[in-house]
Amino acid sequence: MGIARQAAPQEATVNGTPRLTVVTPQGDPGPVPADEDMAALVRAVATHADRQAFAVLFKHFAPRVASYLRRGGMPAASAEDLAQEAMAVLWRKSASYDPARGGVATWIFTIARNLRIDRHRRDGASGWSFVDFENDERPDHPDPAASPEERLDERQREARVRTALRALSAEQVRVLQLSYFSDSPHSEIARELGIPLGTVKSRIRRALITLRRLIDAPTP
Amino acid sequence: MIRHHPDDALLLGLASATLARGPAVVVAAHAERCPRCRERLRQLDAVGGALLEAAEPMVLAPGALARTLARVDAIEPAAEDAGAASPTTAQARFRAGLPVGMAWPRCLSDSVPDGWRWLGPGMRWSRLTLRADPAANVFLLRIAAGKNLPTHTHAGIELTQVLYGVFDDGRKRLDAGDFDETDATIRHRPVVQPGGECICLASVEGRVVFDGLVARALGSLVGM
Repeated sequence: MGIARQAAPQEATVNGTPRLTVVTPQGDPGPVPADEDMAALVRAVATHADRQAFAVLFKHFAPRVASYLRRGGMPAASAEDLAQEAMAVLWRKSASYDPARGGVATWIFTIARNLRIDRHRRDGASGWSFVDFENDERPDHPDPAASPEERLDERQREARVRTALRALSAEQVRVLQLSYFSDSPHSEIARELGIPLGTVKSRIRRALITLRRLIDAPTP
Repeated sequence: MIRHHPDDALLLGLASATLARGPAVVVAAHAERCPRCRERLRQLDAVGGALLEAAEPMVLAPGALARTLARVDAIEPAAEDAGAASPTTAQARFRAGLPVGMAWPRCLSDSVPDGWRWLGPGMRWSRLTLRADPAANVFLLRIAAGKNLPTHTHAGIELTQVLYGVFDDGRKRLDAGDFDETDATIRHRPVVQPGGECICLASVEGRVVFDGLVARALGSLVGM
């Protein structure tokens, strides 16, 4: 993804809160770590408790998870503590990581998100959604409503999502970032975009409609 | 065939964990049986992953990796799933009284139903206490075949997932698996089809407001 990761250092933090940089619409693809490589590292952790592989994953993801949690309003020390916990969950649950379900970044996002929800119930946190996806893994009970275009494979999905994010306007990406990362998304979106609180919902809706359209009908 | 789905904003709320637990379980109960919404949630999780990938890394204190490894070493692997949710006896007893063929949503596995209470002729309801958020306003409604709820509107946003049976409120027909979102702008009179009873899972933001004196008394009687 085209991300100005190395923005001017003085912009890196605002009042001690890490800033998220906006995905530039026509930015260069950027060196996204290949998902297969990441998946291989998770497998190495799962199969022979490979600490070297874990260190690579940690170096890449822990600072981003901490940033995500910090952005969600958590004090720096707690964000760091929970980022460590998220990585510890990755270690413990590495055997259950299923690349067919999503990329490693997506999996770690769900771990961090679930930890953020259930801070008091760490032991239960694993990852993915608290929606039960079991029905998808029962090919003997195919759902007639599940037409092929409603079920993407992981690679298609991740590629389409990334392409779609690049095609959104900077403002729409910002709306999504705040929706995912902020503790009070609506008021922050209103403030940043300089719009009344009452119109935030429709902005989010519009960003989601555009996102959906781009994912459903990707331009070649 | 599921025809009525939660909108993308609600699914985003679930994916970003910004939705309160009450509405979240209703949306989750829908997604459990809706392949389309599960795919949408996967996409929204992937959006979260892509945004995480794009986040400005935070500088961690020295030794963070070592401390994480120490944490990993300190964990007894066997202790992990000890807290796995098993239905409470209250829930098991309650579920035994449900119609055969009605699946209990997995997202309600750690909820405690109060038990059915009379709401009106052919109408019963039960509060559901969620372990993760005991104050959440979540309940089940059970309406007999051919009966209807009084005409009412809503003080806040109400989410409904049909778990069993069919009802029609004049706006649309909702079958088992369908999802509905209503608010103060909607006045409706849900009527259950004559063929069989209907059970819905609902979460309300405000208090449900019934029209009419009797209905109002009824509503306040049950604390709705």
